[in-house]
Amino acid sequence: MTTQKHDFAAPVQIEELAPAARLSLRVRPDHRAVLADALGLDLPARIGDRAASDGREALCLGPDEWLILAPEAADLIAAAAAVYPTAPHSLTEISDREITLHLSGPSVLDLLATCCPRDVGALAVGRGCRTVFDSATVTLWRDGPAVFRMDVWRSFLPHVRNLMALAEAELATGL
Amino acid sequence: MSRYRIPGHGRVDHGAPVSFIFDGKTYQGLRGDTVASALLANGVHLMGRSFKYHRPRGTVTAGSEEPNALIGTSRGPGRFEPNTRATVQELRKGLVTESQNKWPRLSFDIGAINDRAYMLFSAGFYYKTFMWPKSFWDKVYEPFIRSAAGLGKSPTENDPDRYAARYLHTDLLIVGGGPAGIASALVAAKSGARVVLVDENPEMGGALLSDPSVMIDGAPAWEWLDTSLTELRAAGVRLMTRTTAIGYYHQNFVGLCERLTDHLDTPPADAPRERMWRVRADQVVLAQGALEKPLVFDGNDRPGVMLAGSAQTYLNRYGVRVGDNPAVLTCHDSAYHAAFDLADAGSRIAAIIDTRRDVRPDLTDAAAQRGIRVMQGHTATGTKGRLRIKSVRVNPVQDDAVGKPVEIACDALLMSGGWTPSLHLFSHTKGSLAWDADSNTFLPDRRTEACQIAGAGRGLWGFGPVLEDGVNAGLAAIEALSRSGNPRDLPVQNDRLGTGVSHTELPTDLSAGKAKAFVDFQNDVTAKDLRLAVREGMRSIEHVKRYTTNGMATDQGKMSNINGLMIAADALAKQPPQVGLTTFRPPYTPTSFGAFAGYLRGQTFQLTRTTPIDPWAEANGAVFEPVAQWRRGWYFPKPGEDMHAAVARECRATRASVGIFDASTLGKIEVAGPDAVEFMNRMYTNPWTKLAPGRCRYGLLLGEDGFIRDDGVIGRLSSDLFHVTTTTGGAARVLNMMEDYLQTEWPDLNVWLTSTTEQWATVALNGPNALALLKPLVEGVDWDDFPHMSVAECSVAGLPARLFRLSFTGEVGFEVNVPARHGLALWTALIEAGKPYDICPYGTEAMHVLRAEKGYIIVGQDTDGTVTPQDAGLDWAIGKAKPDFVGKRSLSRPDIVAKGRKQLVGLLTEDGSKLEEGAQIVLDPNQPLPMKMVGHVTSSYDSAALGHPIAMAVIEGGHDRMGEVVHIPMPDGVRRARITSTVFYDPTGERLKA
Repeated sequence: MTTQKHDFAAPVQIEELAPAARLSLRVRPDHRAVLADALGLDLPARIGDRAASDGREALCLGPDEWLILAPEAADLIAAAAAVYPTAPHSLTEISDREITLHLSGPSVLDLLATCCPRDVGALAVGRGCRTVFDSATVTLWRDGPAVFRMDVWRSFLPHVRNLMALAEAELATGL
Repeated sequence: MSRYRIPGHGRVDHGAPVSFIFDGKTYQGLRGDTVASALLANGVHLMGRSFKYHRPRGTVTAGSEEPNALIGTSRGPGRFEPNTRATVQELRKGLVTESQNKWPRLSFDIGAINDRAYMLFSAGFYYKTFMWPKSFWDKVYEPFIRSAAGLGKSPTENDPDRYAARYLHTDLLIVGGGPAGIASALVAAKSGARVVLVDENPEMGGALLSDPSVMIDGAPAWEWLDTSLTELRAAGVRLMTRTTAIGYYHQNFVGLCERLTDHLDTPPADAPRERMWRVRADQVVLAQGALEKPLVFDGNDRPGVMLAGSAQTYLNRYGVRVGDNPAVLTCHDSAYHAAFDLADAGSRIAAIIDTRRDVRPDLTDAAAQRGIRVMQGHTATGTKGRLRIKSVRVNPVQDDAVGKPVEIACDALLMSGGWTPSLHLFSHTKGSLAWDADSNTFLPDRRTEACQIAGAGRGLWGFGPVLEDGVNAGLAAIEALSRSGNPRDLPVQNDRLGTGVSHTELPTDLSAGKAKAFVDFQNDVTAKDLRLAVREGMRSIEHVKRYTTNGMATDQGKMSNINGLMIAADALAKQPPQVGLTTFRPPYTPTSFGAFAGYLRGQTFQLTRTTPIDPWAEANGAVFEPVAQWRRGWYFPKPGEDMHAAVARECRATRASVGIFDASTLGKIEVAGPDAVEFMNRMYTNPWTKLAPGRCRYGLLLGEDGFIRDDGVIGRLSSDLFHVTTTTGGAARVLNMMEDYLQTEWPDLNVWLTSTTEQWATVALNGPNALALLKPLVEGVDWDDFPHMSVAECSVAGLPARLFRLSFTGEVGFEVNVPARHGLALWTALIEAGKPYDICPYGTEAMHVLRAEKGYIIVGQDTDGTVTPQDAGLDWAIGKAKPDFVGKRSLSRPDIVAKGRKQLVGLLTEDGSKLEEGAQIVLDPNQPLPMKMVGHVTSSYDSAALGHPIAMAVIEGGHDRMGEVVHIPMPDGVRRARITSTVFYDPTGERLKA
């Protein structure tokens, strides 16, 4: 699933994850439960909260906005379409819009702090947020104390990777 | 070992000699030295020449406020830095340094002739000397000023170092690691708050490092310091040394510059030289301490004259006596301790000259015990010595009368004019200052940010009061953080309490008009200059500053501002607060450009976006151009082709057979929901209700002002779903505009917007063979019902696709959208399938030519934000029956419907030459200058299809001038051009109907 070898001695490990289905769900709060039922996935109401079941994940990004991850998109799209007449919404596939980086290692917070103005350390494990890395909009998922996923818009990825390479070299010097 | 270095004394490592070079000569210093302390240890006081008069200068201070001892430092090839402060630069192996602003050498400098001619260089001399004759400005005066201006040599090579950046969030940031800051940190750390303590010095301790004899909490100062720092580290406080808080911005945002490698003998490869920290702190404690003021008297700039507190620092921190028989000149008690420490260390104090008549008896007693003569109620009126002070001229003052002088021999003169609280960061916040008449200084008053000010930074003196204040500031900060803490008693013994008075120039029996009594050392501003500025009409301190350049040197007035203000206020016969204080601006101390740039240089200077097809373009020799944030293939030259030939070939091939183009950068927005069509009707000028699913339409987007903002082809995929395309540069702007209307104007609409620009890779096929090429690759399209301006979800080359039939070239055209990961696969499949048709990849330049031949506009090139649909000839795109759309009302404004607006037309030159884009157009080339310009050329290309150049232009009343000749004056003559339709090629659109 990954494109790079592990180097567990390194201050950080940066890996590109293989693509999975990613969808943007927009629905008014009063229809949230209908969509949650249809998708078989809780849709948390608090921004930054996440839910997961059966390999599907949801991250609340706004009062009417969720990011949904799943192994496949087709089932979700069909299930949502079935409730569209009663619970109008937008479920747009954006699987290819972003590429996801898996970031881990003892210095991962320092890596993020090089270019992310947000207090990433204060993001609780199991939550997520939309933020920026330098000039790129990214979605950050904190999966563990030192484990993150970062969704980066495809065309911004080379810039983000170049910056991360500079930060990696810097972290390796210990200064 | 030099006799000026006291073995075993100070915080330097006496077992670790470090050699370095100053002006070509090798010197020995110790690990822990600065260049200044090492030179002083070698008896070298002369370190530079002043800016204007080239006067010999030595170090005045021992810290970052140093105005004089600026040197060039080199850390190897490409690593030369001018204006490094010798008092800050730590010694490291092989450091090469040089003095500045001298020729041919530091000890004999031709430029010092300026010193003799000082009458020419008085305040405002720029404005007086260089005024006439006017013709001299360009050839004589400006080159002279330019060559004379600036200190040091600019580096000539690119900076090879890396610079880093980091964001940091903390509950409490404490600026200044002296006693107040440490005391704050000690109480705050116990509360569990995240605490960061920063100091610009290589080690924490501040004034404690210069005053080891003080006892705190029962321990000698340095032992207490060690214990306290250990306690802070154990409590998780982040201690950052060599880190200067350079600026204090809104909402407790503080910039820190951390110096990482300049002090290292061999920095690790890839290590950044400096790191800029952008700190967001809930609370800030400013514990920056105070800066000692020089005294203003004739000859106060001679090498060997320095601040008393700095001499004490050189002694106690670096183990260096700044002289064998220094004299002390003071109006503050603190200088006595410098004298006592030096006397105890073996220097013979020539005298303590105190301007005050009354001095605390314990101080005079302590002086007497050491055999030091104290001259109370005296002034200094001059110094002697060419490159180093030899004597000071001292006179008694009685009832404002200056008595007879005596000469006191000395090899250093330690002065203290009292202490100025360091208000810089507080002033960055626009916190207000209050004048304290008792201490003759400004103190922090009303705060605008969540900060506390502690210690000498708010005018307190003595370690006891400062420590107590630090504790209180720490407690106040954690209370503001809704945490609790306990007070901490930090009793002090052997404290060095003190007070003082304040002066303008010291009184003299000599002509004040001839005194070179310096206020700003680096810029050579004297007290006389300041008084002259006032006499010549400067009333505000801001004007005085600019007229005299007082406070405009690299020390930013740290030495000179208060003395300058006191003198200007005296000259104006006003109270200092009525004259005001100049504004402190970031950065606090000089900061490298590299630190500000951080990672944003070279490859990471700016974001460059590339499409999934970009690797193919690069491998196939594309020449790229930047378009918005993207890099796009501009043209694909074959061997031997220039741009002109390549573009002409690409255009010909497309019109002859088929061309392929990477259109992935086009903005794409998915508009979905039951109210999608209503939303589209309101946003775009066009009517959408009757557009059937499976069809597309050109959409035009206006601002409220009725001017064209964006355009693009929009496909209706179902009754509730539109696939909107925008211009490449407009994608984010259009989505923001749509969201703005949706959220603020029409929150009732059930419609949602999602950016899908990067979900899709888009490949355009255009040309008479486009359909033949594509057809065999497509599944799921009913070709009998897929005319021009259709859209279908289908598969292309086995990939899921959204297929648009549309044209931006006037040829049969398609845009194939596939999920971005498949973009390159689609492209190569189409290239492969196109081989029988001699498929030709074309770039953005050919795309521009092909669309211009058809008169299709490019928003932002043929429009400039003042072009309406009518102006652009796009009236047909307006849904006239619609009740409203963004910009509709503006289209009926009187000035919008008036005659004579600039309108988009075609232009063909009579001589067949190509016009220049941006060229101005006139109706009568023989009219007198300045001519009335009626418009300009917006697009201009050589057209291979037509065999001659074509152009588009906006011209006043252009639509009513069809066939008229206009004139385009160019440097090589006036061109004549005839106004035509913008549709140059295939005006009836036959070629679209394949």
